[in-house]
Amino acid sequence: MLRTHLKKWITSLAVTSVLAAASSAWAQEDIVLGGSIPLTGVFAFAGIGIDAGIKDYLKIVNDAGGVKGRKLRYVPEDTGYKVDASMAAFKKITSQNKVSLYYADSTGFSKTVNPELERSGAMLMTGASFGKELNDPKKYPLQFMVGPDYSEMVGILLNYIAKTKPGAKVAIVYSDTEFGRDPIEAARTSIKKLGLNLVTEIVTAPGSVDVSSEVIKLRRADPDYTIFHGYILAPIPEFVSQAKALGMKTAFMGTFWSMDNSTVMKMGDSGDGFMGVMPYRYYYDTEGKSPMLEKIRQLHPEYQSTAYTQGFLSAMLMTEAVKRTLDAGKPLDGKNMKAALNSIANFDTGGLIGTPITIKGNSIPVGRIYKADMKQKKMLPVSDWITLEQ
Amino acid sequence: MRIGSAKQSYLADQALFDSTPQRAWFGVLLLALVAFPFMANEYWLYLACLVGLNIVSTTGLNLLTGYTGLVSLGQAAFMGLGAYTVAILQVRYGSPFLLNLLAGGIVAMLGGILVGLPSLRVKGLYLAIATIAAGFMTHFLFAHWASITGGNGGMTVPPARLFGAELDTSFRLYWVIAPIMILMVFGAANLFRTRIGRAFIAIRDRDISAAVLGIPLMPYKLMSFAISSFYAGVAGGLFAYFFRVVTPESFPLLMSIFFLAAVIVGGMGTISGSIFGAIFMTLVPELLKLIVGWLPLGDNATLVLSPVRTIVFGSMIVLFLIFEPHGLAEIWRRIRRLFHLWPFRT
Repeated sequence: MLRTHLKKWITSLAVTSVLAAASSAWAQEDIVLGGSIPLTGVFAFAGIGIDAGIKDYLKIVNDAGGVKGRKLRYVPEDTGYKVDASMAAFKKITSQNKVSLYYADSTGFSKTVNPELERSGAMLMTGASFGKELNDPKKYPLQFMVGPDYSEMVGILLNYIAKTKPGAKVAIVYSDTEFGRDPIEAARTSIKKLGLNLVTEIVTAPGSVDVSSEVIKLRRADPDYTIFHGYILAPIPEFVSQAKALGMKTAFMGTFWSMDNSTVMKMGDSGDGFMGVMPYRYYYDTEGKSPMLEKIRQLHPEYQSTAYTQGFLSAMLMTEAVKRTLDAGKPLDGKNMKAALNSIANFDTGGLIGTPITIKGNSIPVGRIYKADMKQKKMLPVSDWITLEQ
Repeated sequence: MRIGSAKQSYLADQALFDSTPQRAWFGVLLLALVAFPFMANEYWLYLACLVGLNIVSTTGLNLLTGYTGLVSLGQAAFMGLGAYTVAILQVRYGSPFLLNLLAGGIVAMLGGILVGLPSLRVKGLYLAIATIAAGFMTHFLFAHWASITGGNGGMTVPPARLFGAELDTSFRLYWVIAPIMILMVFGAANLFRTRIGRAFIAIRDRDISAAVLGIPLMPYKLMSFAISSFYAGVAGGLFAYFFRVVTPESFPLLMSIFFLAAVIVGGMGTISGSIFGAIFMTLVPELLKLIVGWLPLGDNATLVLSPVRTIVFGSMIVLFLIFEPHGLAEIWRRIRRLFHLWPFRT
């Protein structure tokens, strides 16, 4: 009798201790944020900033105790901005870790990995792409982008133009790439809808050098505004300097990836007055309340790129999705985290975006127009924050 | 030490495997290939599939450049033709994937014949430049024939199906890619036991002499382009099923350079060279990443050492070319000879 009792007691003790150990292990299990990050190759200028931004935000969260006691662990791999290397990095990271969050480096990779992402159902993904195609919650239910898609960026520019100069003549210059062509169809529709006048469309090779014939074409069209898309820098400076030399008065504009302060400043004096859309505040922006920017400035006394802010904000929003999922007591899977992300309404990003944000679908269609001031060597705001209807 | 392999017939002389140990080792290799998917994780399976399709394409380019002496920078374009053909057939008609792969190979083959036409007049660097045009033409076709190709956004390819099962994981695709790769490598190896293969080699060594010997240059050069681009087309088809997305930017000029580098590093004009070259070019960057990961350099190791890794990879290619211009295949041959002759040296 005593022996049976003792046996039962030992068994229940063993079971309890195993369960306790398992639950404590569960409580302490890290939440892994994997990343296919382009630390080398043509996109390394952005990848290095993104990497630093993600690391800094996770450090802030972990120093404050993590999310519900669980630390966030960042596992990056260099991809060289190649889709096959990005996929290899994804497979490597996901086969060695239980990954809940992932950062993707390109539109190509985001599209390629999507079936895998849906099959696994364990992750929420964001990335460096603002491709319009990804802004479709039905096709890409576990992905989102930290800002407006490229069509929305051009939409924000066009809204600004329509308000500033109704009926203005607009030209679009874009690269002959998937990136360049992405917003063009939507831009044509918006231009018509806003009562603007599309005077010319110019397509160039990405990074092309000799653009003299294109500049002459632009001069003939004589637009009030010229929007560039699908470039980082070249051939924008060449266009701008040649157009200014020809006495053209058109205002030049760009989208996110050509709008970093250091990129625009490379245009030199001819870049003075260059405008564009930016969904985030610049590093040096002191307007309004922005505790997160203050924190970043404390961490880094030197200028941090907009790619850094993109990485930082990506980590912030993914962490918020994790927090909301855990708060609701739901399992940490892609579907729950995406639902948690879409429950974000009037969210304060600590001033990184100058207006509270709401994430309804896969994008955050918010931005502001900034203009280059070459004397101050800064991009300065010329509009309020513009939010597009989704 | 191997005492000797006396051959008593021409057939024995032409045999792919001329000794029992060779056949035994090949059996071991096949067994290893069968066992591999059950032991490897998803990452290594992914790399194995990638290596497999790169071997197919590199073998194709080696037939053209290594064996026939026609330098081509159009391999990525031919792969693109194969990939798009497969994508279109799969998306629009849902036809069986083996048929799609065959069609992909044939369309690429026709493209190859077209692009190969200048080879009748130009050689060497001039031909390489002429074949670059294939890349521009196919890119334009893929990007602008939007009603068929999906334009700049490209096409998303549903997974291939075999016996009712979807081939949607690296594990499942491995069972398709590996046999096709073996089949195509054997096809290439056998080609050089035939009159056609020997004609290719004769053209490479001296085309005028080949013509004097009675080898008509035009059909054979075009045939070499056709076979090479068929291989590229099949590799492209496998690419479409493997990555499940094809866009005009999936097949850049850099990809053609990758395959040309694989042929040179592996060993021009050798089948084993194609295999070693593809393995080297695909796996060495990943192995360097693994090594960087093992170094006790803290969180910033990836960031700091990524550019160094790229430099090391580039330097390795240069060093191979300097110290072993005949490629990895020659190193492999030397290693084998060492074992054959052991304990003697030469």
